[in-house]
This record gives sequence, structure tokens and C-alpha cells, in this order.
Amino acid sequence: MKLQADSLTRTYGTLHALDALTLSLEARVLVLIGPSGGGKSTFLRLCGGLDEATSGSLEINGTPLGHDPATLQAWRRRNGFLFQQFNLFPHLTALRNITLPLEKVHGRSPAAAQKTARQCLDRFGLLAHADKLPAQLSGGQQQRAGLARAIAPGPEILLLDEPTSALDPEMTAEVLELIQELAAAGQHIILSTHEMGFARAVADQVALIAAGKILESGPPSSVFGAPREEFTQRFLAKVMRFS
Amino acid sequence: MNASKTGHPAVELTAALLLTASVCAGFWTIFSQLEWTRSSAALWKYRESLMQGWWVSLVVSAGALIGSCLVAAALVAGQRSGLRAVRWFTQGFVEVVRGMPLLSLVLIGYYVVLNNRTVSDLLSRLSGLLGLAGTDYDLAGKLFAGILLLSIFTGAYLTEILRGGLDSIPLAQLDSARAVGFSRGQVMRYVVFPQALRRVLPALAGQFVSLVKDSSLLCVIGVNEFTYQARAFYAATYLGVEAFLPLAAGYLLLTLPIAAFAHWLERRFKAATAG
Repeated sequence: MKLQADSLTRTYGTLHALDALTLSLEARVLVLIGPSGGGKSTFLRLCGGLDEATSGSLEINGTPLGHDPATLQAWRRRNGFLFQQFNLFPHLTALRNITLPLEKVHGRSPAAAQKTARQCLDRFGLLAHADKLPAQLSGGQQQRAGLARAIAPGPEILLLDEPTSALDPEMTAEVLELIQELAAAGQHIILSTHEMGFARAVADQVALIAAGKILESGPPSSVFGAPREEFTQRFLAKVMRFS
Repeated sequence: MNASKTGHPAVELTAALLLTASVCAGFWTIFSQLEWTRSSAALWKYRESLMQGWWVSLVVSAGALIGSCLVAAALVAGQRSGLRAVRWFTQGFVEVVRGMPLLSLVLIGYYVVLNNRTVSDLLSRLSGLLGLAGTDYDLAGKLFAGILLLSIFTGAYLTEILRGGLDSIPLAQLDSARAVGFSRGQVMRYVVFPQALRRVLPALAGQFVSLVKDSSLLCVIGVNEFTYQARAFYAATYLGVEAFLPLAAGYLLLTLPIAAFAHWLERRFKAATAG
């Protein structure tokens, strides 16, 4: 995928969540790292068409993500998005969580939606839990079901906002494994994470976002192996101290 | 979540029956001290008008139940309008109606507003279209006016209940719903509304029970509903207890099924949302 951000700014009141962020790259799996509150989530929301920039421009694969509601909705329909938690609709079973958007958004027949949804759940080891409600699933199972829902329509790009931040280490491993599988199968992904080992293993491009700007970007070998910026060196030293 | 202490079911059932029986016995003692001569014959004589009153109450309640939902739907939409003027107007309307005694709303609404020549002409045509106008135009008009006023009154309450429910849905759900590609309408229909409705169900049921009882106030504008007929019976015979006991029983016959239905729905939803 080709991503082009130019002076991208998003303010909330007086807070500059993104501050003239500029980035131009081509990647299959782009991983965003950086301190909390640095702007990773805001940037992902803009990339997913869930939020609009205050100023500047963003274009992904030739689609300008501006302010036109119809374009943004069409964009959301083409891509998949997974949040930290609370992705699933609590009043619907795992299966229905997947079939409902397939039917109502993507126009699949109920039978076709069922078939796709069961395949996705099976692939993620959740078929036995198809008829359970989110409250009856563990956190890891909920995230896997959320991931199944996001990939069911066959998204162009999968956007994952700290998909394992709310999970314990064991559940984190189950979810990261799945994401790695998807990446290996050729899925285009933009994800933010604090799991540096994972970021290094799965990314073909890494970008460090802090204070609303890109401080450093490039292939993992250079960002992790030979960081240019002093901030990056300090950040990595801090977060990798125990790993 | 079960806060109550539980014992053996047979013991609990017996205790419950004993409690009920002792309360009944108490009331039986009180009521048996009244004089019951003449009364059954008089009740029998007036049974038809009382029955007919009960049916009118049923029709008014059912009509206002549907009407109040329509009013609430319009007002909820108004509260969420993109135009600030519409939001302000809607909220003001809701507050004024909720703050007014139903009695004033019914009296002013009927005798002043709906009896205005222009308004009443319009309404009689409308009620004709709806098939409500019978041979007795006056009565049909009153019935229609009663249903309309009760719908507005209850609709204002429902609006606030629904607003609370809609506002209680976490923003994360809206984000998730948008992220899967739902349009604004679909977000409401498939994600927000079903969840909000589950949360406000007990409050809605309470409001519908109130609606049935509030319909008794329409007797002040001469709608020949159940309370109206019971009062007429009382006025003719001076048999107070004989008039108002069946009245209580008749209203319970309308309200208990609503409560039971709501409890059933609640249990169904609870089973469907918690493990």
C-alpha cells in the first residue's frame, strides 16, 4: 500500500494530537510505535476513515481521506479496523457479529454470510464458540472474534489499534500469532503496538510517532538496529530494557 | 447476581403463601364489616355499562400506547436534530409537558385547544379518515382527543427514558459500528437501539402501566371509560366500595399483563447478554 501524509494535523481543543505529520512510504505491513499519547491512535483513526483531519492531507492507495462523508464511509467499508477492546456488539453472538455486517454492509446473502463467518471463526479456532455472546468469551477470544469480523469481508487494509494492549501475555501471544499469520498470507496491515519484538518481526516498515509527528521511519532493521534520532534510541532503550 | 438468601423451595413457597393469606385475611376482616345488602343486585344491573367502560379504557390505553411511541419517536428525533433550534424546541416541549399535571393538560388541551373551531374541524375530518368517527360524533371526538392528549403526555416521558438509554451506550460501540461500515441509520438500528432498548425496558414498562392508570383521568372530559362508568354507578347508587373494588380489579387486569410481559422480555434479554 502507498501512504502519503502531508502536514497532517488533528487538534482536539487546544491539544495537538497530530502536529503537521508528514510521511510518505510504501509498505505491506506498517507498524506504528511510540509513547502513549503520541498520536498513534489518532493517526490510525484518520487512516481508517473514522476521524477527519483539522488540516493537511492524507492519501492511501490513491484515495484522498478528506471530509466527504460518502468517501469516508466507502473507505471504511473497504477496510477492516480493530480497536484495543469493546469491538464486538455485546447483544449479538460471535457469529452474528460477523454475519450482520456481511449482510447489511456488503450485501451478502444470509447463507453466504454464514459460510464466510464460519470459515473465519474456524480459521481462528473459534468455531466452537460461534453461538456465544461476547460476555461469554475470554478477552483473547473476543479480540480474535473481532479480528475474524474485520477480515471476513476481505479488507484491502487491516488497521489494528493496539490490538493486544488490554490482554494478558498468554492472550497477547494468541492474537499476535494470528496477526503474523495474516501478514504472512499477504494481508496489508497498519498497526500500532507496544510489543517491540513483534513489531520488529512482522513489519516491513516502522514509524515512530511522538508528540504528533513522525520522528523516524524506515525498515525495522534500521529503526531498531541503527536508530538515527536520539529520542528513538532513548525510547527503545527504555521499552526494551526487560526484553 | 443473587443477593437474596435462599432456602428450601417448599419452605419459601409456604412462607409466601402464609404472608399473602394473612394480608388477605386482614382485608377480609375489614371488608366484611361493611354492609353488602343491595350491592350485588345493583352491580348486576350496571354490569353492561361497567364492562363497556372497561373496553373503552382498553381501547384508549392501546391507542395511547401506540400514539405515545410515535410521539416519542418524533421527539427523540427532534432531540438529535442537526438544527439547534429544533433541539431547543423539542427539549422545551418535553419539559413543559412533563412538568404539567395531566389534569391541566387534559382540561386545557380539550376545552381550549381542541374545541377551538378551526382545530376541531380539522380533527373531526382526521378522525373520520382514521375510522374513529362513529354515529356519535361527540363521543368519537372525545375518544380521539383523549388518546391524543394521553399520547403526548406519555410520549414526553418516554422521550426522556429513551434519551437516557441512547446516551448510555458507550462511544466505543459507535466507533465499532462505524468501523464495520454501517451507515448512520444502520448504526442506530442494529447497534445502538437494540442495546438501549434492553437497558430502558423496566422504565418503559413502568411508564406503560402508568399510562393505563392515567387514562382514568380522561373521565374529566367525558370520555366514557372505566373510571367514568364506575363514578356514574357510584353517583346513581351511592355504593362506593362496590364501584371502586371492581375498578381496581379491572385496571389490574390491564396492567398486570404489561408488567408480566416486560419481566418476560427482561429475563429473555438477560439470558441473552450475560453468561
